[in-house]
Amino acid sequence: MNFEALLTYINSTPLTWLIVTLLSFKIGIIVYEKFNKHTLLQPIIIAYVLIMSLIVLTQTSFEEYFKSVEIIHFFLGPATVALALPLYNNLKYIKSLFVPILVTLFVAGVFSIVIAVVLLWIFGAELPTILSMTTKSITAPIAIITSEQIGAIPSLAVGFVLITGMIGALFGTIIFKLVNVKYETSKGFALGLVSHGIGTARAIEIGPKAAAFSALAMGLSGIFTAIILPLVITLFLK
Amino acid sequence: MLKGIIVLLVFQFFGECISKFFELLVPGPVIGMILLLIFLIIRKSSFPSLDTAVFLHLRYLPMLFIPAAMGIITQIDVITKEFWAIFISLFLGTTIALIFSAKLMDYLTSKTEKKS
Repeated sequence: MNFEALLTYINSTPLTWLIVTLLSFKIGIIVYEKFNKHTLLQPIIIAYVLIMSLIVLTQTSFEEYFKSVEIIHFFLGPATVALALPLYNNLKYIKSLFVPILVTLFVAGVFSIVIAVVLLWIFGAELPTILSMTTKSITAPIAIITSEQIGAIPSLAVGFVLITGMIGALFGTIIFKLVNVKYETSKGFALGLVSHGIGTARAIEIGPKAAAFSALAMGLSGIFTAIILPLVITLFLK
Repeated sequence: MLKGIIVLLVFQFFGECISKFFELLVPGPVIGMILLLIFLIIRKSSFPSLDTAVFLHLRYLPMLFIPAAMGIITQIDVITKEFWAIFISLFLGTTIALIFSAKLMDYLTSKTEKKS
């Protein structure tokens, strides 16, 4: 028996962190479903806490961890391409409200980035934080690759994306009631536009029309932001 | 399903190639997504192996951001230093954005409906 060889293997193989990551996410799904899919118990949040504790306990550096699970990160690319299909399936709804959809996408899409950036700036945040906030309303895979493109910090960007999603899912319906939003389609579209996938999961509970418009908003704003944002930021910072 | 996976990878590959070649600032996978969308619009439908491949990639989508998300442990200083700015921007910013988006869409929808 060679205990040392065993330890060396466990410490060096990417399998260890890969298994930890997949298993933590699986535990996250089980907990999420046990608690009736409560927004605050998103599988990724539970996985986050579990993996984070293990990284801190074993004093592993982020670089070491990332190298082991880089294969998971790789799949963000094809997954982003895959987002074309749900967008295609919901594209038929665009015709029914063509002008409202395009105007809201453009005006509200820009507005939600500007308001977040202005608030950060007023309260004295630094540039990397501000840049990382600009992708907060788009779906995480596009947010990660876009934040890499614009020189933001991807990990902060994902954190902001998740929290923005949860705020929309938790308070969206109450907010819409308070300000008297009339159409189901408006509620869905706003949820998808501001709170991407997590908002869309909530829109499903409002109704099928809200769900379709939410998914549509999420897909369109992902593309729109990924095209416009890098252009605007290079113009401003140069 | 293999055909579907190949389609996704090839579209990403072309997206990245276009992005590099034309020195575009748009991330390659997003160009790949746009190309696939155009492809589906022209083809007028998806096909089963693509459906399966897409399902496989999107079912556990949140798991794919874990590696990038874990980098947050290198950002503890930034978060503690700018906590209130981040907190206000996220909560107030998101609330205002939700109200603005929904009300704007409501207003434009009722205008369109009156016309028709």
